Amino acid sequence: MENLKRELKEQIIERLNLEDVNVEDIADDMPLFGGGLGLDSIDALELIVLLENDYGIELTNPEEGKEIFQTVNSMSDFISRNRK
Amino acid sequence: MSYISSYCHISSTIYSVNGQVANTFESGTLDEIISELYTSLDIKYSKFHKMDQLSKIGFIGTELIKRDFPAIDNYGENDIAVLFANRRSSATTDINFLDSYQDGGIPSPSLFVYTLPNIVIGEISIRNKWFGENMFTISNHFDANYFANYCDILLQKSSEAALCGWVNVDDNKIEAFFFFITKKDIKQLNLQLNSEKLTEIYRAI
Amino acid sequence: MSIYITGVGVISAIGLNVEENYQSLRNKKTGIEPINYFPSTKNILVGEVKLSSDDLIAQLNVTAPISRTSLLGLAAAKEAWEGNQHDASIRTGIISSTSVGGMDNSEQYYKQRLESDTPDISLITTHDSGTTTERIATALGISGYINTLSTACSSGANAIMLGARLIEQNRLDRVLVGGSDSFTNFTEEGFRSLMIYSDDWVKPFDENRNGLNLGEGGGFILLENEKSLNITNNKKLAALGGWANTADAYHQTASSPDGKGATLAISNALKIGNINPSEVSYVNAHGTGTPNNDLSESVALKNVFKEKVPPFSSTKSYTGHTLAASGAIEAVYSVLALQHNVIFPNLNYSTPITDTELVPEVNLNESHEVNVVLSNSFGFGGNNSTVIFKKA
Repeated sequence: MENLKRELKEQIIERLNLEDVNVEDIADDMPLFGGGLGLDSIDALELIVLLENDYGIELTNPEEGKEIFQTVNSMSDFISRNRK
Repeated sequence: MSYISSYCHISSTIYSVNGQVANTFESGTLDEIISELYTSLDIKYSKFHKMDQLSKIGFIGTELIKRDFPAIDNYGENDIAVLFANRRSSATTDINFLDSYQDGGIPSPSLFVYTLPNIVIGEISIRNKWFGENMFTISNHFDANYFANYCDILLQKSSEAALCGWVNVDDNKIEAFFFFITKKDIKQLNLQLNSEKLTEIYRAI
Repeated sequence: MSIYITGVGVISAIGLNVEENYQSLRNKKTGIEPINYFPSTKNILVGEVKLSSDDLIAQLNVTAPISRTSLLGLAAAKEAWEGNQHDASIRTGIISSTSVGGMDNSEQYYKQRLESDTPDISLITTHDSGTTTERIATALGISGYINTLSTACSSGANAIMLGARLIEQNRLDRVLVGGSDSFTNFTEEGFRSLMIYSDDWVKPFDENRNGLNLGEGGGFILLENEKSLNITNNKKLAALGGWANTADAYHQTASSPDGKGATLAISNALKIGNINPSEVSYVNAHGTGTPNNDLSESVALKNVFKEKVPPFSSTKSYTGHTLAASGAIEAVYSVLALQHNVIFPNLNYSTPITDTELVPEVNLNESHEVNVVLSNSFGFGGNNSTVIFKKA
């Protein structure tokens, strides 16, 4: 699980072009949207692509992302339960 | 009557403000040059890194004009019109987006966002909280006549000032020219706006 | 100074000319259907123009390669221009707009290049957005002033606005303004990536709306000043009442929740036209059917009109979202509403949006005189435009 979290943080930084952010800056329970990392709706869509591309999990409704993408914790939980 | 109160050129080898060379670039990829320009501005704007190259150059050009003309902050939020143009719309990003879904890939939303040329104006409006009028046109060459005419029209009625840009980033080359038009010759550059003057300044570097 | 509309032309999913479009609007006949003309393996709903590009080429008597965007633009421009002559004493121009340009041909070229050693390179020459307008201008013989603009889904409205200003400032006497966009894979993949492409028929202003359907088409209107009218003797179909463009300054693609840019565009257009909000007979809404647009636009309508929002509808439930063409196509529909004193119904609506509770017109309404029509067009990049049309 710890490996998955680290991998996720690296992927988030790379895919969302977060140039000013390091893996250490993202705490497992830090809100990714709103305050925290300050991601926006396009980032959320890009995370949906990430799930499909890298973990084979397909989301069809962007609303589902709201729960899943709250924190790195919630993302890694969801992925480990659903990955193919 | 309106005036050119500030202008700047950005190319892949040099950038200048009001005709004065501000920096030259040794060599490097477009991304390296853009990153060098951004670093030299010494600002933190995390959204910058998400933009495509067209938006990045538009953003940097606007920041350079703002620095040269700090009185820009005195305008109201609806006062400044933004008028941009270029040769090839968003062609470079269009191709990148195409590549993202060709061969069965998943189309990238963050690339699609930039497959419209006027998004650069959106980015500048968001950054500066400008709610004024904006327009993006496509033409084969820098059309000084169009810019001069349209600025005249805008400043006669609906806007107090206009930020204009001829912004081309493609074929691994940057060719950008930004100028700020005001109703009064505030900085006394003595550059009355007309298409001859504009052409002269555009070609000066 | 008055600016008159003396010609209209439109081609869309609901008709190949103005009359066919008008009849479909009256009869609640949508043009959004499972994809048929465009070579696609997907089964999606699209507002396609019901003619192949080859048929359009033959009908318009032009030579390939030419992009479908140019063909659709030319079809509409030709109809709006019909009967007009060139006259050296009338300064005439054309302003067209597009967001995809010749992407349909470019897609074919890319496919050919991947599959064969001898792709048809001439297909790529139609890619550039500027050539879209050049082809239309050449076919009609207009050379005085040619401009192409591209501000996403507000392009068509902005072409009208730019043309109006050039007349107002006495730089042109007569100008053909509008826009066109063809359906492409590129746009479909794009809107799908933003997860705002609905697999169901678009439901503008409905609580359960879940995205847009794409459409394609072209729309043009001919604007003239008095001087030009004295020579052409064209019939006045309607007049321009006002126009405005603003930036929403909120997000690259999403509209602000408080509808700030849209509110400013609507109220500035009313102000410029010296029109009281209570005078507006009908609002042809942008109404794309995405959760975000329809809420933001509803908020803006309430901001401007308070409790008295005029009858409104989104005709995108007939045509699909025709992107750069939409402002121009809907300008033609606005003129039709004025000419015939009708308000067109909004299709597929059943439940009001909870937050705003606005109810669009759902039946053909012929019970009121229609004197002023306000048309909204909001584009990505936060580019928001409102154009107002009134009886001549």
